[in-house]
Amino acid sequence: MRVHRLSKQGALGLALVLPPLLVLGFLVILPAITAVVETLKPPVGIEAAPFANYTQVLGTRILRSDIVFTVVVTLVAVAVVFLLSYPLALYLRFVRTRSTALLGVLFMVPLFVPVVIASFAMITFLVGHGLVSTLLYHVGIDQFPRLMYNATGIVLTEVWVSIPFAVLILGAGLQAIDDALIDSARDVGAGPLRTFFAVILPLNATPTMITLTLLFISIFGSFTIPYLVGGNAPQMLGVTMTAYLTQYLRRAESVTLAVIAFILASVVGVIYVASVSRRERAAR
Amino acid sequence: MTRAPWFWAVGALRRVVGIGALLALAAFILGPLATLLVWAFAGTWLFPNLVPDFSLKWWVYVLSNADVGKSIRMSFLSAPTATLISAVICIPAAYAFARLEFPGRRVLLLSFLSANAFPKIGLYVSIATLFYRLDLMDTFAGVVLIQIVNTLLFMIWIPTGTFRGINVNLEEAARDAGAGPLRTFFQITLPIALPGLIVAALFAFIAAFDEAQGSLIVGTPNHITMPVMMYALVLGYPQPVGAVFSVLLSLPSVILLLLAQRYLRAGYLAAGYSL
Repeated sequence: MRVHRLSKQGALGLALVLPPLLVLGFLVILPAITAVVETLKPPVGIEAAPFANYTQVLGTRILRSDIVFTVVVTLVAVAVVFLLSYPLALYLRFVRTRSTALLGVLFMVPLFVPVVIASFAMITFLVGHGLVSTLLYHVGIDQFPRLMYNATGIVLTEVWVSIPFAVLILGAGLQAIDDALIDSARDVGAGPLRTFFAVILPLNATPTMITLTLLFISIFGSFTIPYLVGGNAPQMLGVTMTAYLTQYLRRAESVTLAVIAFILASVVGVIYVASVSRRERAAR
Repeated sequence: MTRAPWFWAVGALRRVVGIGALLALAAFILGPLATLLVWAFAGTWLFPNLVPDFSLKWWVYVLSNADVGKSIRMSFLSAPTATLISAVICIPAAYAFARLEFPGRRVLLLSFLSANAFPKIGLYVSIATLFYRLDLMDTFAGVVLIQIVNTLLFMIWIPTGTFRGINVNLEEAARDAGAGPLRTFFQITLPIALPGLIVAALFAFIAAFDEAQGSLIVGTPNHITMPVMMYALVLGYPQPVGAVFSVLLSLPSVILLLLAQRYLRAGYLAAGYSL
């Protein structure tokens, strides 16, 4: 009897989760597989070599430099976001003053600003004759590195957009750490730095991994920010593959670049899913 | 007496997170938005003037532009459609993930993370190659589907967490009192879960409404939403035009957030964004 009821519940459960799974399969899994299959087909008019699309793309100097540029910009942006967000998350978790309450609202502002608007706002702020250079001009500085339409502009805008995500995830992890553990570490004589490296950091390892991997994937796969605030060349892969698809009408190269991006980000993606899974298990 | 926080004795750290850092962060976060807002009410703003010549002429220009009107209509048709479809298919599934035992439950729940585990633009390019074959490029359905990709995770994970958080005893008590499963769901579970479901729908709507890069690929040239319109305005028009349109584009999110403010506890936010 019990077995029968369980299987009925199982069938109902599967039936209820089937519709969104089908949508997911149609919009994520199937396109990814189609893309891989498509790239393995030889280009029209060329003798069949199994990885012809890949050798062709990787043999193009501009595309190679775009790939390198994308990886470097992504790593720099992830590092800057992380180094700004961790202290901020610690501060919000362990200090209670009026300025923390203010900070707690302030850092979340970019969360509610669409990326297109964020990029445009950054342009008006940092561009050659924008607000920053106007202010600097009035204090007598008119020679400084360009802040817009180059890698610096991309990194600054990615940082602006990503800070709330990082602080929220890190902060949720820090919130879960028991104050008693920190107090006892201090009672046995651990200094602040030692407390951080021996207690806080290991206990917050999973949220830290989630933060780093999510930042990497979202920045690596971004289009809007490099498209609007980046320079001409080298450019990030998101812009390049979109241009190949919609402007040059060269779908094979575009899809091949997409699959290369999947491969480069795959390890990070696996770590991300594994980390969220670990946190889920710990939460129950 | 409250103890000083554990890192407070580190002089360097204290200085870093001091008033100076707060001001720098405020300038970095609010500076660009403030500049944008001033531009929206500027007629012209010449370097090196600190304030522009104020004017509303660009508002008239933007609001009387036919393409802008079309994009507003497209956004307000597609984003609610995507949110509604997503809610209808996802909320029952979320209930199943939270309450029912079935084979593969954990793996299937985690599989929804795959939408986040791919670099987005690569995914959109792949979707486009599929849509070419299915004749979904430059269609309303194609744009809605692209928006749904961005809503699934919010609509599955936040409601699953909400349903899990509801005490099973409440539902069992209703069942013991003679209520059927559907009646129990609609009269007991749903009202308690409502704040969580509203937050999920809010995130889903904002994600769908703000989606730009996928809609640019799939919707061009005849199904242009407001964020896609924004690309053209930023790249091809005087600064105030983009600024005016930015204000218009932000209005729905800001209004919704103000309306839903009391549901937006930091916990829900973290749950929604740590996905």
